[in-house]
Amino acid sequence: MGVQKDRIKFNVGGRVFETTATTLANAGRDSYFGALFNDDWDLLHSNNSQEFFIDGNPECFSILLDLLRTGYLHIPSNVPERLLYREAAFYGLINHVRSAKWGPFNGNRLRYCKSVTGRAPGDGTAIRAGPDGGCAVAHGSMVHVFDWMLEEHPPINLDYQRVNDIGWVNADSVVISTCERLGTPDGGMGLFTSSTGELRYKFNVVHGNQTKSFTAGALSFSPDYKIFSSCKGRSNEYGIGVWDQVTGKQIDFFYESSLGDADKLQWLNGRNCLLVATLFPRKDNCYISILDFRQKRMVWSWSDIGALVTVDEKRVRDAIAIEETNSICVVNEYEDLGFIDLRMEGGGVRWSSRSRLSTGNMLDEPCYPKLALHEGQLFSSMNDCISVFCGPDCVLTSRLRRSDGGSICDFSIGGDRLFALHSEENVFDIWETPPPIL
Amino acid sequence: MSNQKKRNFQIEAFKHRVVVDPKYADKTWKILEHAIDEIYNHNASGLSFEELYRNAYNMVLHKFGERLYTGLVTTMTAHLKEISNSIEAAQGDMFLEELNRKWNDHNKALQMIRDILMYMDRTYIPSNQKTPVHELGLNLWRDNIIHFIKIQMRLLNTLLELVKKERTGEVINRGLMRNIIKMLMDLGSSVYQEDFEKPFLEVSAEFYRGESQKFIECCDCGEYLKKAERRLNEEIERVTHYLDAKSEAKITNVVEKEMIANHMLRLVHMENSGLVNMLLDDKYEDLGRMYNLFRRVPNGLSTIRDVMTSHLRETGKQLVTDPERLKDPVEFVQRLLDEKDKDDSIISLAFNNDKTFQNALNSSFEYFINLNARSPEFISLFVDDKLRKGLKDVSEEDVEIILDKVMMLFRYLQEKDVFEKYYKQHLAKRLLSGKTVSDDAERSLIVKLKTECGYQFTSKLEGMFTDMRTSQDTMQGFYAKYPELVDGPTLVVQVLTTGSWPTQPSATCNLPAEMSALCEKFRSYYLGTHTGRRLSWQTNMGTADIKATFGKGQKHELNVSTYQMCVLMLFNNADRLSYKEIEQATEIPASDLKRCLQSMACVKGKNVLRKEPMSKDIGEDDAFFVNDKFTSKFYKVKIGTVVAQKESEPEKQETRQRVEEDRKPQIEAAIVRIMKSRRVLDHNNIITEVTKQLQSRFLANPTEIKKRIESLIERDFLERDANDRKLYRYLA
Repeated sequence: MGVQKDRIKFNVGGRVFETTATTLANAGRDSYFGALFNDDWDLLHSNNSQEFFIDGNPECFSILLDLLRTGYLHIPSNVPERLLYREAAFYGLINHVRSAKWGPFNGNRLRYCKSVTGRAPGDGTAIRAGPDGGCAVAHGSMVHVFDWMLEEHPPINLDYQRVNDIGWVNADSVVISTCERLGTPDGGMGLFTSSTGELRYKFNVVHGNQTKSFTAGALSFSPDYKIFSSCKGRSNEYGIGVWDQVTGKQIDFFYESSLGDADKLQWLNGRNCLLVATLFPRKDNCYISILDFRQKRMVWSWSDIGALVTVDEKRVRDAIAIEETNSICVVNEYEDLGFIDLRMEGGGVRWSSRSRLSTGNMLDEPCYPKLALHEGQLFSSMNDCISVFCGPDCVLTSRLRRSDGGSICDFSIGGDRLFALHSEENVFDIWETPPPIL
Repeated sequence: MSNQKKRNFQIEAFKHRVVVDPKYADKTWKILEHAIDEIYNHNASGLSFEELYRNAYNMVLHKFGERLYTGLVTTMTAHLKEISNSIEAAQGDMFLEELNRKWNDHNKALQMIRDILMYMDRTYIPSNQKTPVHELGLNLWRDNIIHFIKIQMRLLNTLLELVKKERTGEVINRGLMRNIIKMLMDLGSSVYQEDFEKPFLEVSAEFYRGESQKFIECCDCGEYLKKAERRLNEEIERVTHYLDAKSEAKITNVVEKEMIANHMLRLVHMENSGLVNMLLDDKYEDLGRMYNLFRRVPNGLSTIRDVMTSHLRETGKQLVTDPERLKDPVEFVQRLLDEKDKDDSIISLAFNNDKTFQNALNSSFEYFINLNARSPEFISLFVDDKLRKGLKDVSEEDVEIILDKVMMLFRYLQEKDVFEKYYKQHLAKRLLSGKTVSDDAERSLIVKLKTECGYQFTSKLEGMFTDMRTSQDTMQGFYAKYPELVDGPTLVVQVLTTGSWPTQPSATCNLPAEMSALCEKFRSYYLGTHTGRRLSWQTNMGTADIKATFGKGQKHELNVSTYQMCVLMLFNNADRLSYKEIEQATEIPASDLKRCLQSMACVKGKNVLRKEPMSKDIGEDDAFFVNDKFTSKFYKVKIGTVVAQKESEPEKQETRQRVEEDRKPQIEAAIVRIMKSRRVLDHNNIITEVTKQLQSRFLANPTEIKKRIESLIERDFLERDANDRKLYRYLA
């Protein structure tokens, strides 16, 4: 009895492993090992010296056993990742693998992980990171969904209409907004199960008790389960529609014809308001407004009509509200960052040229810059690179670049990963922060 | 051996995967179905977890997830139907036992099935929007057992019956009860609420409705409250033992409504035992219970408060208007203080020192104290009594306590200026007669009045104390200048500032020659040191100590008033004096003289004079002699003056009038102050503001305010607005 009482022997695919119940306990109750050692099942195996046979891959078992022992995931080059993931799923350890694979997101510590090449014929429209490390990519009328293992799921389409925007409601559900097809109820907005590509329901715009066909543009989500979209309908349905994520029912509609074309919606948690931006080149001028649905009115607005045209023409190409500093950050086609004060009406853009330290490679097919915000870090894409800005003054701190695939047409951050979609070559890159080594 | 078996199985499974046996899914499902059967039959020891897990895994992997899931639903439903029959077959008390046992079995089976089907639970179910295995197991149990028509009502009735038994004092199996209730809660809060809580509350309401009706017919109020409290505690205890904690508020609400809210008025007004009786008998425990129970229901406390207030007002009114009480002011105030003490201790001991109750008490006192216009006078008399004699042998702290209590009554007075008037009179008497017991106590009360009403209120009272001190110094100076006077009669003079003291009708009498000489000497001394002053003698307020030798040689020292001294001194030169002669010689006002003679000739033990004819009253034709037979045990004899301590009716009228006169300038001053800052104001607002400003002193009468405004208009301080007659303007 002097020796360790909790020693356990496994025979996995012919190789014998010896470990302890303590190590296996790290797998948790909700796993193969957790169930195996539950009291209800141990009647057969009261004898400790006996070995358990598991019909599995010994290489993978060894990697997973190391993961349970140390919390660290190391995948040797000779083991295919897909095989490891499949084995991990068998043991109920897939979440252990996922959380050990990459660490908490930090824009200044990103490491290029992988590129995925698709088969889509057209240019990329949008890429959106899912909450658990997967992503959805829109090309033309199709949306391709990948899980965190970068396994592709069945593609999604809404009556094969051109996709304008995508959004993740949660890890299982994706909303896409598309153009309408004249004279039919096709297009609009739909909610899909991400793993199966199955359409769960369509979002309707109802006007005067009649369901109208419409084109859905930009999407945004609020934490109280609301979905916002810019809408253009046949008759009067121009404005911002609001739906309930859970029921799919339309709960509000803000009629304002100028908002139907909006390129960007952003829900502002602190203010309980929605930012709506319509940008060049969709319109000749740039309009930014903030809507308060409780008061049913526009509480703030800005446009560059009548702004002085300076020597080098500066047009706002993307805008994002930074609530912490009460400002809206904008970017022009030269990747100059500018700031508009949200606390006053009619203020101008305070351009900061410090950000333009160097431009990336000018490519044959340039893309307009885009902005993203993640936990106080500001990200801006320009040509084939993404710049990271930190601090209240938005100081440039890092630059991410991969020269394959041409310029970046869209990028997205979520699930502790950054996805960058290239306009040519139909490629997207994944960037992650390495997990900490204890 | 099992190891061998597993190997065999694994090889077989491998072959299936390669060959893709068309019956693969059926065969695999049969194995799993068999395992589920064995688990429900308590026969799981022959099962291999590894084998079953991999079989379930393979089915999902080969796209038979749907098959596996529906198979599970079917098999589990079948087992639950069987279970429902065995539960239904259980007789009597065994019903709950069986239900509980089967529930435990089902939970264990569910856990094992979930272990086997874990891969399906984690992959197939979320991506196909199915119900997870554990939740599915609970839902099936709910639908097949709890909502099975033959079980549902029986379960509810059994549970309610047990609760009823417990309420009637029987002991029930609380552990079993707890397990069953816990099961309902595990099935979801809606199951607990619909299948138990709602009917439970309804039945409870009915139970307590009946019981409270029974109790209220046969119990007195205190007893009833005791029973209600016990029931309430029992229900709270029941919740902690076997119900959902969230039910506590609901069930206590039922008890509160049925046992208290519905009978509130009847309880409060119950004959011989209701709230008023509890208050009268100081039943702190019952009152506290009533407070704690009634505070739980809407309007409960206000009901108690209203009844208490009207009771206080009623008893207070009786107290202050009882003509018997008016005879003894000290007793009158003492009764008020006792009543206040009694009510205070009820509020602190039974009513949790509730602020709203304290306010009700204060407003009640304020109400009835002012019902009697003599309250200010009586309170002052009470203080006078205490400060004259009542504070002897009382510690300093106790003095403070008594004074604080008096101040509390004072606060209730609306006519504080009337009190001031009386207080001044009484204080003057105390100071001049040297009757005050404790200078500290006097000053302490002055300080209290000052903090309550401000400097103005007490400045004159403080002036009286100053006069007393300076007089002492003056007398020392006088005798230091004339040391030869020490041998003769001693004169002590108190110089009082006019205005600080209550004005007295000045009627100087003729003093005996030796005294008037001395007085003259003092006058010239005083005026010599203080220029520009005028002295007038207040002979009606003085006292004198005189030595007297009576017929048989008995010697006494008599302590008398100045008037009495003047009369007695006349007998040094005469044996017999008629009333007329005395009046002529002394020039003492008739009423004072009569009282003075009465006290010396008609009071037993103090009759230093003899009167002819003998009678109680003094007549104009009476004659007086020295009473040679006067005896007393004491060497020193104090001869009082027959004075009513209380005011006589005309005096009262006079004081009243003086108070009214004094109010006039105060009202006028307030009007001018207000108008000076507001310039223009309408009539109603002036009335309100003046009343507010003067509140700390007295309650101003609107008619009087109006009169004062008119007087001010006549004297050109104010004018009426030419257009709006209701508007007044200030004229600078």
